[in-house]
Amino acid sequence: MISVENISKSFGEVTAVDNVSLQAPDGKITALLGANGAGKTTSMRMIYALIKPEGGQVLVDGINTHEDPVAARARMGVLPDARGLYKRLTARENIVYFGRLQGMKEAKIKERCEELVDRLGMGAFIDRKTEGFSQGQRVKVAIARALIHDPQNILLDEPTNGLDVMSTRAIRRFLKEQRSLGKCILFSSHVMQEVSAVCDEITIIDGGRIVASGSEDQLRDKTGSENLEDAFVSLVGGEKVV
Amino acid sequence: MNLRALKTVFFKEVLENARDKRTVMSSIVMGALFGPILMVIIMNTTIKMQQDKAEQKLEVPVINQAGAAHLMDFLSAQDVTLQELKGSPEEAIKNKDHDVVLAIADDFAEDFSQGRPAKVMLYHDGSAKGAAKVSVNRLRSLLNAYDRSIGTQRLQLRGISPNLTNVVMIEQHDQATKESRGAMLLTVLPYFLIMGLFMGSMYLAIDTTAGEKERKSLEPLFLNPVKRDTVLAGKLAATVAFGLLTLVLTLVAFKLTLPWYPFEKLGMRFNMGMQVMMIMLLVLAPLALLAGAIQTIIAAFAQSYREAQTYVGLVLIVPMIPSMLLMFMPIKEQLWMMAVPILGQNLVINELMRGDIVGWDAIGLVIAGTLIMGLALAWIAVKLYNREKMLFTD
Repeated sequence: MISVENISKSFGEVTAVDNVSLQAPDGKITALLGANGAGKTTSMRMIYALIKPEGGQVLVDGINTHEDPVAARARMGVLPDARGLYKRLTARENIVYFGRLQGMKEAKIKERCEELVDRLGMGAFIDRKTEGFSQGQRVKVAIARALIHDPQNILLDEPTNGLDVMSTRAIRRFLKEQRSLGKCILFSSHVMQEVSAVCDEITIIDGGRIVASGSEDQLRDKTGSENLEDAFVSLVGGEKVV
Repeated sequence: MNLRALKTVFFKEVLENARDKRTVMSSIVMGALFGPILMVIIMNTTIKMQQDKAEQKLEVPVINQAGAAHLMDFLSAQDVTLQELKGSPEEAIKNKDHDVVLAIADDFAEDFSQGRPAKVMLYHDGSAKGAAKVSVNRLRSLLNAYDRSIGTQRLQLRGISPNLTNVVMIEQHDQATKESRGAMLLTVLPYFLIMGLFMGSMYLAIDTTAGEKERKSLEPLFLNPVKRDTVLAGKLAATVAFGLLTLVLTLVAFKLTLPWYPFEKLGMRFNMGMQVMMIMLLVLAPLALLAGAIQTIIAAFAQSYREAQTYVGLVLIVPMIPSMLLMFMPIKEQLWMMAVPILGQNLVINELMRGDIVGWDAIGLVIAGTLIMGLALAWIAVKLYNREKMLFTD
């Protein structure tokens, strides 16, 4: 369960995120939907306690992320925008490294690693060095290392960016599985079909501000639109002339 | 600090970089072997060239040989090959066709027979190096010998003791020991040792910071429930370990190449026993911390791997400064100098090589001075990543 209350962030003169609040309950997939540059990544970085918000607070299972970032991070599994792997290590070594940093026991790491190999379909490449991995293989390894400690809260920044259909479907299936296990999943995206396909709750961000939130149906009713894309365009103030 | 996390980071960095052939090649081969091998080659070629010149028959082009027939006979008797010179003596020296040219003045014969100083001209290049000097010195001493022998004969003919002209007798007492002669040629040794150490840690300092940032793995790494200080401390420990490894290998390489140095030919002795090596290692080891910390700090500010390589590469000039200084100026050692990192190491190693006993106070001061500075820099390096600006390249 993640609850974000009135966080803001500016870089110099530019206000990237302005007074953002949102709720991501357990057992649901919540989307942070917005165009490129709308403030998704900055918001996510504040939520997973990489950077400090100017005012407001983030609670992860009731833990304030800036009072106790170490404890909060132990309850989160994050796939950030940056998802570089260590290319001179094998996929398994990459995952085990993060398991150890999570403070897990060796036996537990091994067991959990096998489970993730299975669930994400990584059997073919788990013991290969990650140099030359395809985009899909890389994302799977990045997700596995982020979730090695089986966290209650899963945060993903544009998880299917640049992936082909098969990989995208594998990841969607995996997220739905996690939802059925009662996990809290928050993910940011700019892809309507994606959000439409997997998310229960949608929060729309534009220009660093939250403009609407609710289920897909609620958003469509509110704007009288036929699909999420039209609802989104109408909510962010129409098609801007570029 | 979370010790288990620190160890995890340390071993991962060591493993990852040990798999990188480029790191291993640059730290071990370049850092450890480059210095010793270069020194063996340079010293041997220099000595060989000088020896060849000294043993070779001296060949001297002479202008106006007819003007001083007696002198020519003397030189020939001393095994000098006299040659005719084509072109001007200035040209011959400038073009390095000859090391030295002798010219006999036109009125040499007349002055000689009248008992006036008769003039000869020596053409040579005073700024020439090594072997050329040998030829000039040999000819000059032959001319001096001729001068003395004729002078003595003239005095004896007039019934005067030649000893009257020897007013002062100089007896030389050279205090250079066999070790100190070796040390003069080996003033570059501390530089190569320190340089090796800097080169050994360089790639890790860059790879674990700027490299990790560029490959976009730093952000996910910092999302683990471990303090950034701890992660950085683990990285720095790996960097320092590679520096230390290179240092040990450089010392071993020097020890192993020692038989190839032409010490005997130079009448020198060079002391590098186990005890000397241990003291060298002891005073140099804290420098690995300092080197790793400086390199990590600099690499942290770079936006890319390449940029970091440029900046960190420039740091290699720093250990050159005290070594160069000591090479060209004889500095009287003061105890406080021992506390200055790099300078202190240079002084101690130079003393060790001269065969002097180095006091434990000096050794302690070198270690303490470098360690304090190294720890301060390490603290800065570790704290640097608490600044949000350091986390992203964009």
